[in-house]
Amino acid sequence: MSSTSTITTPSPTSPSRKPTRARSDLTFKQKLSHFDHKASPFLYIAPFFILFALIGIFPIAYTLNVSLYDWHLLKGQGDWVGLANYTSVLSDPFFWNAFGNTVSIFLLSAVPQLLFATVIAALLDQALRAKTFWRMSILLPYIVAPVAVAVIFAQVFNQYTGPVAGLLNLFGLEPIRWAFDVLPSHIAIASMVNWRWTGYNALILLAAMQAIPRDVYESAALDGANKVRRFWAITVPMIRPTMIFVVITSTIGGLQIFTEPKLFDGRTNGGGGRQFQTIVLYLYELAFPRRDFGRAAATAWILFLIIILAGLANYAIARAIRTNDIKPVKIPAAKRPYVTRSINGGRK
Amino acid sequence: MSSRRAITASIAGAAVFAIVATGCSASAGGSDDGKITLSVTTFGTMGVDANYTKYMEENPNIVIEATNLEGGGAARDDAYAKIAAGTGLSDVVAIEEGWLGTIQEVSGSFVDLRDYGIEDVADEWLDWKYKQGTDADGRVIGAGLDIGPQGLCYRGDLFEAAGLPSERTEVAEYFGGDDATWERFYEVGAEYVAASDKAFYHSPRFFWNSFVNQQEEGYYKSDGETLNIEGNDVLKDQLALVVEAENAGLGAGLPGWDVGPQAKAGDYATYMCPSWMLGIVQGYYDEGTTDSGWDFADVLPGGAANWGGAFLGVSESSEHKEEAAALALWLAAPAQQAASFELAGPFPSTIEGQALVADSTNEFFNNAPVGEIFRARSEGVIAQVKGPEDSNIQDNVFGPVFDRIGQGEITDGDVAWDEAMVLLDQLVG
Repeated sequence: MSSTSTITTPSPTSPSRKPTRARSDLTFKQKLSHFDHKASPFLYIAPFFILFALIGIFPIAYTLNVSLYDWHLLKGQGDWVGLANYTSVLSDPFFWNAFGNTVSIFLLSAVPQLLFATVIAALLDQALRAKTFWRMSILLPYIVAPVAVAVIFAQVFNQYTGPVAGLLNLFGLEPIRWAFDVLPSHIAIASMVNWRWTGYNALILLAAMQAIPRDVYESAALDGANKVRRFWAITVPMIRPTMIFVVITSTIGGLQIFTEPKLFDGRTNGGGGRQFQTIVLYLYELAFPRRDFGRAAATAWILFLIIILAGLANYAIARAIRTNDIKPVKIPAAKRPYVTRSINGGRK
Repeated sequence: MSSRRAITASIAGAAVFAIVATGCSASAGGSDDGKITLSVTTFGTMGVDANYTKYMEENPNIVIEATNLEGGGAARDDAYAKIAAGTGLSDVVAIEEGWLGTIQEVSGSFVDLRDYGIEDVADEWLDWKYKQGTDADGRVIGAGLDIGPQGLCYRGDLFEAAGLPSERTEVAEYFGGDDATWERFYEVGAEYVAASDKAFYHSPRFFWNSFVNQQEEGYYKSDGETLNIEGNDVLKDQLALVVEAENAGLGAGLPGWDVGPQAKAGDYATYMCPSWMLGIVQGYYDEGTTDSGWDFADVLPGGAANWGGAFLGVSESSEHKEEAAALALWLAAPAQQAASFELAGPFPSTIEGQALVADSTNEFFNNAPVGEIFRARSEGVIAQVKGPEDSNIQDNVFGPVFDRIGQGEITDGDVAWDEAMVLLDQLVG
């Protein structure tokens, strides 16, 4: 970086020279250095944008193109049909069934997952022995391939031979038809998602908790706030930005759920009677067994728009919460001096 | 220092491009030390794998890279996706009868086996099997492997305990022999249920498929294009019969597939067995089991019919078409069909292959003379014409209805039929 200053600042001995002329006098090495200064940042970020264009923008645009045609998977492009694929998807009861299933599985997974993740993160944020061990342990489910998770859980929740069925039987309870009834199948699938993602989200939230200045807690403790009070009054408000991030990523992930319901019953696309067919499984069924690529592409775009809407809704809710929250921070006057003092550090 | 960074940046950029570029290049047919690698994709229990080692021994320059997918549905979706992508199909691909019609709509994805000499051996196959593998333009895209003549798998031990005949010829006779009807089948079922307090079969699905395949025209008219379901009283009456049997407690309410633990527990006593199903039932048990109680009878309610059967095709995108076609034709030749039969049960579609297995018995099925039984079960049978949505209708129109019947949620034949018609309308109509 030091060399760049000689380029932009004209030499004090020749103040009359224009910078442009000064540049032409530069040695090759200086020119290279100038080029480096101007261009290398773009080179650094270029791979991402080129990759993004290749595997992000292009497929999205191409899908839009496909969705406007009568497009057979095997026979290829047919006639231009405009938005007909969209209207036929939106008027298909199977689409709305898939939409309902997706929302249901999402709620059953995201809500308990975030609650547990927050609690686990708060526990890991305490002074524990073998911290790294515990932190690594909660991430273990995440490194198991989702396919393996789905296969194992499909066994666990096997209506006839699974251990859950065995447990129910042991207590003399009626067997639950995990793969046949709507709600039980959603619970089984949500449990796979929760098993896999709770630890991951807990680690992200833990990182946010670790970033909270410790002296805030100390001050609160001096004020007599107990652990629970400190958690609600300090931890929760201060991890809110991270929480919003976690909520948005799990919304996107939840709406795109595929592997778990697909493998819960591998021979069908979300259950014999579509009990747990999600939007992406509906899309898959349209694209492959039914070979209607145009409608599948339209479904992909509808899903894309749904995700954007959900993201905007998340954002709006998050903003509303944030503005509401300014007041409670201002009100407890007793707290302020401590906070200020802690910011001033030892200089009081 | 700055220039070093620029260089580092460009190297990093180049590396990313290199990764992208190599990621896209297909890794087809590696040829280190002059060997040719041929990929083969099969599904289910086809028994084709019985022959790979021999072929590699006889042809030291060939390495076979085999993939076996769990079910026909997975193989179908896999093949569709790769045809659509225009790349990725194995050199040799197994195609199921149920979706062969769809493949023939884009038969250009597969080579014309006439270019590789299939015509010279054409008369080895049953006539109709050879014709099935031929598309509308006369291109032969599939070399026939097996056919699906059907007999009845049953549990001799459970039959005996329930006071029914258990010896296989007596069983066949008891069901009505050559004049066996579905009514009689369900009647025997009711006797079994009354005597044993157990279900007679695991799911009504397979018996239904069998029935549909018995009709001269199934889900489609014989032109393979016009649907033959709405207003079809033959199908509707049979559905009512199935519902009645379920109401009487004949079914165990199980899913169609993967019911091994229940078989071991003796939860059901019969299984509809087209030739390729033998391997599936056997697969429910540990290898080498011979005392499972399963037996195999020369009888099919409603008369003989074909259900299923596979073909081998060679993909147009193969880099070694000649070698792949040679392998496909060899695998579909009588001797290899016979070897597949011995391993897994799919009955040969060649006349000589059938002769080779005529004396074959199956240890798992109480040493039943399966070769002889299947030959008898295939006599005069011609496969029904399938339409493009045939497998979709089987799985997604009637499949869910049978699930609900099996779970006791539909107890009326008319309701079942109406529900199927709603699904048909939404999925195909």
